[in-house]
Amino acid sequence: MDKLAAANRINEFLQSVVTNGGLHLKYRIVIDPPAQSDWEKPEIFVDFSGPDSTLLLDRGAELLRALELLAFEILRLPHGDHEKISFDCKNQRSIRMQELRMAATVAAEKVRQTGTPFHFAPMSSRERRILHLALRDQTDLRTESDGEGFNRCVILYPADYKSATTKPARRTLP
Amino acid sequence: MPETSPNVSLLIEQIAKWIVDEPDQVFVEHLDDDVIELEVAEGDVGKVIGRQGRNVRALRTLLSAAGVRARKRYTLDVID
Repeated sequence: MDKLAAANRINEFLQSVVTNGGLHLKYRIVIDPPAQSDWEKPEIFVDFSGPDSTLLLDRGAELLRALELLAFEILRLPHGDHEKISFDCKNQRSIRMQELRMAATVAAEKVRQTGTPFHFAPMSSRERRILHLALRDQTDLRTESDGEGFNRCVILYPADYKSATTKPARRTLP
Repeated sequence: MPETSPNVSLLIEQIAKWIVDEPDQVFVEHLDDDVIELEVAEGDVGKVIGRQGRNVRALRTLLSAAGVRARKRYTLDVID
C-alpha cells in the first residue's frame, strides 16, 4: 500500500463527508502512528473530534465503523490488510479493546467453573480477533468463530470439549 | 462553526465513483421525497452492495447521520 496516496485519498473522502454530508467533524490523519497496543499496529490512523463526535459514536460507533469500512472499499484494501487502517474518536477503540479483554477474562472464568462453552455476542472480524488473541495463552481453553455474516461470533470452549457432537447453550456478553 | 451546505447526492456519487470499476456509469438523483437514487453499471452493483450488504448499509448509516444534521430522513435506493 502506498501510504501517502492512501492518506490523501482518505482525506479526499473525509473532506466530502464533512462538506457534502454537513457533519461538524474535524479529523487528523497520521501515517505510521506509534503502536497503540501489541495487537493493533495501523499504518494510517485517523482520529476524529468535533461537535458531531457523538454521531460517530452512537449505537456502538456505527458511523465511525461505517466510515472506516467505506475507506477500505475506496482504497480497495484486501480483507487481510484492513488492520492497516484505523479510525478512532475519543479513544473508542482502546476503550472497546479493554471491554473485550474484560469480557474474555469473565468468560474464561465461567467456562472453567461450568465446563460448558460460552458464546460471545456477534461482532466484527477485528473484534473477534481481539478475543482470540486475548484468550490464546489460556491452555485449558480454546476459541473458535462460528456463524455467518453479522451473526458470526466467538465461542470459548474447554480445551477438551467435543464441539462436533454437542451444540453449546447460547449465552452472551455485551 | 460556520454552517455548511449539505449535498448528500454529491457525497454518495463521489463515494460510489471511488468504489466501482466504471465511474462513468454512476448516476445519482435526489428525488423530491429525499430519496437518493444511485444507479451504477450492472457489473458494479455487487461492489456498491458489498458482502452481506455491508457497503450499502454503511452508505445508509452515513446518509442517516447527514439527515440528523439536515433534519431530514434520507433513503438510498440502488438501481442497475
